[in-house]
Amino acid sequence: MLETIDNLLQGFATALTPVNLLYALLGVAVGTAIGVLPGIGPAMAVALLLPITYGLDPVGAFIMFAGIYYGGMYGGSTTAILINTPGEAASVITAVEGNKMAKRGRAAQALATAAIGSFVAGTIGTLMLVFLAPVMVGLALTFGAAEYFAVMLLAFVAACSVLGSSRVRGFASLGIGLAIGLIGLDPTTGQSRLSYGIPQLADGIDVVIVAVGIFAVGEALWVASRLRRTPAEVIPVGRVWMGREDWKRSWKPWLRGSFIGFPFGALPAGGSELPTFLSYMLERRLSKHRAEFGSGAIEGVAGPEATNNSSAAGVLVPMLTLGLPTTAVSAVMLTAFQQYGLQPGPLLFEREPELVWGLIASLFIGNTMLLALNLPLAPMWARLLHIPRPYLYAGILFFASLGMYAVNASPLDLVLLLLLGGLGFMMRRFGLPVIPVIIGTILGPMAELQLRRALQISDGDLAGLVTSPLTIGVYAIVAVLLLWPMVRFLRGRRRPAAPVSAGERTGEEAAG
Amino acid sequence: MSAPPSAAPPRDARAPWWGRAELGVAAFLYLVAALVLVDAAGLDAGVTQRGPVGPAAVPVGVGLLLIVVATVLAVDVLRGGRGAAEDGEDVDPEATSDWRTVALLAGAFLTNAALIDIAGWIISGALLFWGSAFALGSRHWIRDPLISVGLSAGTHLLFGSLGIWLPAGPFTGVI
Amino acid sequence: MFAFASGPQRPRALVAAVLTAALAGTALTGCGAQAGQADGAPVTGLRIMVPNAPGGGYDVTARSAAKAMEDGGLARNVEVFNLPGAGGTVGLARVVSEEGNGSLLMSMGLGVVGASFTNESAATLADTTPIARLTEEPDVIVVPADSEYGDFEQLLDAWREDPGGVPVGGGSSPGGPDHLAPMLTAAAAGIEPQDVNYIPYDGGGELLAAVLGGQVEFGVSGAAEYADQIEAGELRVLAVTSAEPVPGLDALTLRDHGLDVDFTNWRGLVAPPGLSEEDEQALRDLVDRFHESEEWQQTLETNGWTDAYLTGDEFGTFLQEETDRVESVLGSLGLV
Repeated sequence: MLETIDNLLQGFATALTPVNLLYALLGVAVGTAIGVLPGIGPAMAVALLLPITYGLDPVGAFIMFAGIYYGGMYGGSTTAILINTPGEAASVITAVEGNKMAKRGRAAQALATAAIGSFVAGTIGTLMLVFLAPVMVGLALTFGAAEYFAVMLLAFVAACSVLGSSRVRGFASLGIGLAIGLIGLDPTTGQSRLSYGIPQLADGIDVVIVAVGIFAVGEALWVASRLRRTPAEVIPVGRVWMGREDWKRSWKPWLRGSFIGFPFGALPAGGSELPTFLSYMLERRLSKHRAEFGSGAIEGVAGPEATNNSSAAGVLVPMLTLGLPTTAVSAVMLTAFQQYGLQPGPLLFEREPELVWGLIASLFIGNTMLLALNLPLAPMWARLLHIPRPYLYAGILFFASLGMYAVNASPLDLVLLLLLGGLGFMMRRFGLPVIPVIIGTILGPMAELQLRRALQISDGDLAGLVTSPLTIGVYAIVAVLLLWPMVRFLRGRRRPAAPVSAGERTGEEAAG
Repeated sequence: MSAPPSAAPPRDARAPWWGRAELGVAAFLYLVAALVLVDAAGLDAGVTQRGPVGPAAVPVGVGLLLIVVATVLAVDVLRGGRGAAEDGEDVDPEATSDWRTVALLAGAFLTNAALIDIAGWIISGALLFWGSAFALGSRHWIRDPLISVGLSAGTHLLFGSLGIWLPAGPFTGVI
Repeated sequence: MFAFASGPQRPRALVAAVLTAALAGTALTGCGAQAGQADGAPVTGLRIMVPNAPGGGYDVTARSAAKAMEDGGLARNVEVFNLPGAGGTVGLARVVSEEGNGSLLMSMGLGVVGASFTNESAATLADTTPIARLTEEPDVIVVPADSEYGDFEQLLDAWREDPGGVPVGGGSSPGGPDHLAPMLTAAAAGIEPQDVNYIPYDGGGELLAAVLGGQVEFGVSGAAEYADQIEAGELRVLAVTSAEPVPGLDALTLRDHGLDVDFTNWRGLVAPPGLSEEDEQALRDLVDRFHESEEWQQTLETNGWTDAYLTGDEFGTFLQEETDRVESVLGSLGLV
């Protein structure tokens, strides 16, 4: 413990020079600028900017690198909030409430809570990396397919709470999402499903394309179909800074997000989609302003944004201690290490303590720089929304197309985007909630993969699904969640049978 | 403004087709279910499968879920249930669907998809932006095209300088 | 970078081209086979496509190659771009469609061979112009340090006894290198390939966690990737799949264990079909020269790759052999 703190201080001593601070600032600035561009997620931003770090000494390079990494992540959230176009899977959930906030003139607050939340969670996450890495690695390794599947099942049950005001429409939306998730190569047997011989479909449809299509393109089409022709109301400027109430509603989600994100990041197949989504549902459940969810609740931005940054710190646990890259970003990072002749892994801390601790110190520095740079920028970004409506929506379509094309250079992706936009249009027109589609697309394939992997490992034995205390514990929670509403329902039939489609209350309670 | 979407859908009688249009959603769900199930039928359990869950199990489950949901939805709609259309700052709740604007917008979008590999991003992207702004009612005959070309050329150069390839079309080798 | 090559002329050219489509035509022809330049002058306008995401093996190969070409003064502004999808077959289809384009290369390897079967790709490697095989990397058979299998013979006995109960993990989907290696090994050991319980993981990283966590009984993946974990004693190598032992690894080959099989994962470069003779020769010369460069040799060492240089028609023949071998393995599994 003391030794760790000493090492960390050594790291800061290495990293904190005026020149290095300049590198950090430069990295954050460039990272944010590139990350804001559509279609360029953090992995791409890091890969693109890697060459500019080659000329530097290793410590300077890593400091700049940390800045680029955090900047790129924050850039993706910015577009999610401003134009409903998430840059990567980690910020898909951010777009849900964040863009609604922006539409109500609270873009500055949404961006600010995202920036501060990222800072808080990034700092806590990095602290956990420093002190908990060895413990986390042990835990992460015990997490096998059966455990993943149990957690996914829990996520599905929790998802029932976001099915919206009409449950049948919520399930319809979920079903569509699951069907989209089926598209592509079956990872276990290698057969293609629903791809009709189109190679671009063989890997499935990226959840970012689904989100951009349904969120951004779908919204543009929907707005076009019934555009307010009366003199356009300008999106209200609102205050430029977070108010007392915003702080009060944000700080707990930031902290909770920090603790949800990190362990998932550290899991070999954890990623950021699942924890951001769990954080969203948790905040929705705990919020005193639940009615605001779906129309711009600040907790719904604060929690997921904190979560994705904290999981980004978690990703470094298997990366630094095992040499195990679990995300695209960490795979690129591994390349960066190798440029300096370093092989991350069990021996890294012994061989290159100065560099590793320098890197960890740079994470703190990059994170702080991110806050210093982006907080003042938030009101400026928010002002972007004041351009005339035709330009705003034309711009959304323009940047969504640019981003999706830039990833794969395939015009087919653009057609796909429009088809998904049509789906988004239909869903808005007929009141199907959009979140379940995203959940189905994300969770469906993961859950299926882990279920089948677990069964394969046990050679087909169903008992293979309940192999550890952890799985049994999670299933117990699932059972309670499922049974609780039934118990409540049987105990007090308080309200008369509601009309089928107006089952809001039953929908809410069923999940509780 | 910004009230959360009303939970109780409006039940006023608008047009006679208003209530039935939602049956289209049920039909769409049946269609998706059919696609999923037909595809699942063509999957080979394979010699490598272990345990009860093969490549077709989940698709079959999803297909059945969709059929059930579609049926329940159809019944709901026939009984008079309606999904609440999403509202928003830019949406006029009184308006009826303006298909002309939607078609123009989709047309601008598809034009870009069709032209991007031939004409390059600078031209097709500019058409996309201008066409979309036009569809949404902007009629600045000089300002709109200038902004459009400025945006597409600017992003092209920016992405190019970052090493991300965008098709240049006729400008290949020129810029 | 390359986009600004024509510097001050750009705005004028842009306006002119907007006005006349005719100019467009001439501009297009200007970009043809710049690879075919006089000996000695740096090649310009070369693009190398990576058929999977940044950070993967093909990506590192392509970017290292581009860097070696540029540092060695053999080429200027080599552009590396990623066109991921369907195990590399989206990129493969693109290369095949760029018939006659002498300034495009694709970084590829054994994985693309398998993927073109499992994805039922219309485009195949036989349609491309083979340029060179660059590197190879043996697979290793690893178990966690505390595994009950002391040596390869023990593992093999248990595997023969109950193939279903001894799940093997690999870092590639069916048809990929880490899938082929255990299948070929099993076949040589008298185990029916369809009895092998192969668990695909999403890359070597996820696989490593599964091996260390005891989720699978043993893992098969690239040797270089796990060098550190092996050195740290967290993984034990029971065998290597190459014909020759791997320097620095204390393990016998499969042949030493009496199994008639050798297997290495390899990577190389191919070009679009229908190249003119000069273009093809120019690309081969370029690859020849960069292969000999100091920078490339350094890259091989850094990444732990074995030099496996094989060019032109010999590489073409090799490609065909590998395709046949993959087809027979996947055929026995009902995957073709």
